[in-house]
Amino acid sequence: MAFREMISEYRRPLLGALSVVGLMLVWEYAFTYVLPLDPFFFTKPSLIAAAFKEQVLSGALWHDVAISSKAFLWGFSLAVIVGIPVGVFMGWRRRAEYILDLFLTALYASPLVALAPLFIIIFGVGLTGKVALIFLLAVFPFVFNVFAGVKCTDRLLVNVVQAFGGKEKDIYFKVILPSTLPYIVAGARIAIGRGIVGILVAEFYAASEGIGFAISRFGDTYRLPEMFAAILLLMIVAVIFTEGLRKLETLLAPWKIGQEAR
Amino acid sequence: MQPCIQAKEISLTFRPKNREPVPALKELSLDVGKGEFVSIVGPSGCGKSTFLNILLGLIKPDAGEMRLNGTRITGPGQDRAMVFQEFGLLPWRTVIGNVELGLELKGVHAEARRKRATDLIQMAGLAQFENHYPHELSGGMKQRVGLARALATDPEVLLMDEPFAALDAQTRDLMQAELLQVWERTKKTVIFVTHSIEEAAYLSDRVVVMSARPGTTKTIIRINLGRPRDYEMRLSAKFNEIKAEIWSTLKDELMGRRDDNGV
Amino acid sequence: MTALASFYREREQPILGAGFIFLLILAWQSLPAIISLPRGLSLFFTTPVEVVKAFYRLVVANEIQSHVYVSGVEFVVGLALAIVAGLPLGLIMGRSKTLDAMLDPFVTAFNATPRLVFLPLLMLWLGIGIWSKIAIVFVGAVFPLLINTYEGVKNVDRVLVNVVRSFGANEWQTMKIVVLPNSVPYIVAGLRLAIGRALLGVVVGEFFGASKGLGFMIASAATNYKVDVVFVGVTIFMSLSLILTHLVKRVESRLSRWRPDVVKTF
Repeated sequence: MAFREMISEYRRPLLGALSVVGLMLVWEYAFTYVLPLDPFFFTKPSLIAAAFKEQVLSGALWHDVAISSKAFLWGFSLAVIVGIPVGVFMGWRRRAEYILDLFLTALYASPLVALAPLFIIIFGVGLTGKVALIFLLAVFPFVFNVFAGVKCTDRLLVNVVQAFGGKEKDIYFKVILPSTLPYIVAGARIAIGRGIVGILVAEFYAASEGIGFAISRFGDTYRLPEMFAAILLLMIVAVIFTEGLRKLETLLAPWKIGQEAR
Repeated sequence: MQPCIQAKEISLTFRPKNREPVPALKELSLDVGKGEFVSIVGPSGCGKSTFLNILLGLIKPDAGEMRLNGTRITGPGQDRAMVFQEFGLLPWRTVIGNVELGLELKGVHAEARRKRATDLIQMAGLAQFENHYPHELSGGMKQRVGLARALATDPEVLLMDEPFAALDAQTRDLMQAELLQVWERTKKTVIFVTHSIEEAAYLSDRVVVMSARPGTTKTIIRINLGRPRDYEMRLSAKFNEIKAEIWSTLKDELMGRRDDNGV
Repeated sequence: MTALASFYREREQPILGAGFIFLLILAWQSLPAIISLPRGLSLFFTTPVEVVKAFYRLVVANEIQSHVYVSGVEFVVGLALAIVAGLPLGLIMGRSKTLDAMLDPFVTAFNATPRLVFLPLLMLWLGIGIWSKIAIVFVGAVFPLLINTYEGVKNVDRVLVNVVRSFGANEWQTMKIVVLPNSVPYIVAGLRLAIGRALLGVVVGEFFGASKGLGFMIASAATNYKVDVVFVGVTIFMSLSLILTHLVKRVESRLSRWRPDVVKTF
């Protein structure tokens, strides 16, 4: 029967959707009929949905989202512009690798967010501070992923291009760049997460606008459904970008590129 | 008549970091005539591939001269093309994108490139796979693409570095027959490096046996079998004699290396 | 080749690497001596020597020890809980397709989102004491552990499982003999990532609503323009991160010796 086949093929997303819906139902039921709903502590899906509709569709939250997005885009773009060339440079020139690797690895492994208060104090709570922090957090995944990508360029392919008369620029554009592209996308995926951390830290700490600020403000005023709605919005954005980039990665690279926590 | 390829006393030593220098080739001399099919066999590490790379122009010898039609070889050029053992296809390009590579680097216009590449792919029997990616092809198909790519720029000399070593036995036989057909048709000068005595004897006009490292020409054996070659020839007594002759020369080099403490 | 030249050739990489860092520190230290800083900037400026002095002061005053202790407790407890929760769950998810399918949307969604976004909520629920920090450490660290364990279990070679099964092993034995050993390198990689996330959780958790801990020390020092103290805190976190990550990497490479070379991205 065709229906049976359809179920078994889409089993995975079906079960997933089922468990999400199931959770929502149990949650709603529990707090409507079984447990008391202390509005200072909990909320339930129907209230969240209402708050989501109100905040998102009426545009109240969009202003904050726009502020945060602006800072994020600036910081992220700077990270791309600086990170990729540094990564290529380190990957292609051995001396550069030797000089920079230790220093950059140390920085990458450290919780650089610890510098956030300092950045806020120096740059203030406006755009500059946020952009600086986001840049600092997002640049490293690019540097290291591009570095790894360039280093594992197949030497055979470089020889092939040389054998057919290719010059230095041909090697860069016809071998290194395409070969590194999946790594760049992987770096972007990781950098997005780190960039969002930057935005949130900056805005939780000392800001008067932005989605991080909105979330913490809702928390301070005990408006839980709105808070959950804002968190949900952020989650949706994060998932779209992260999973989208992941799909792009697999599209670009039929060959496997790395082992890493998702 | 001047030979097409002239190698005069080529010597090369590898100097890896933190290790002892390794002499790879020692005063190797060889002449190859235009349109000849010459195979090179020798023990592992004797420098066959290195010699090919010097011919290609990617490595410069420490001493000696390599000439093509009288001019010294100083770097890669469109008069020579190589087919690689591990295929060397760009994984992010389709079959046609790969075949066009040499033409692209030569500066040929897109339309002309495409036409030539399509013709070659057709001749290779891969017309249906024009827009496929290398990872979707079998080993034999990949090497056909490699061969098509090498022929695309119409080089005078075809350099082949153990091109069929990564293929299974049946595909290998098939590819050998195909290669001979292509050679008969295009009349290229071919230098073919292999480990297989049978392959060398079957394909070539002459077989060069190299000595163990540091490599030099030990013996050159002329293959007196008629052309075109067919599979039955491989089963004949004469063919076995030829193989035995090559083997006896090669054997000394292999045995001699047992006393060597190198690999 | 002279002895000095060959010494350099052997150790070129660490020499250049460490040398660069040393030069940076030197440049930092000598900066105020070379250019005179504008009044505004000098308020935010400090030098390595000042940082060391501040560290010494804090140790002597017995201040830093209590901060380190509090942060340490948050880190260890949070990480331990993450291991206890993440590993078994990853194992089960890896083996049970049904559970995997059911939990997948949650894991994907929560993993894609920086866990930091839940901090205000956690603080609402758990207050500003030690437990909200432990919670954020837990939430940050549990996902790399869970996901890597899951990947390790899923990536086990089907052939090996069949081999063991053909000798009559049940699920538990299969786990023990094939699945677990195969997963260990993945788990350790997950631990390495989890440690980074855990430290992050400690730092950020203590920035907001805390009265003790290294993160709190950094935040309050920043507010009071004590930039040297800020750097003491940052340096301690950096060193901890480096040491722990290095230790885990060592263990990881020892345990991964049997694996074919896989490219590690970050």
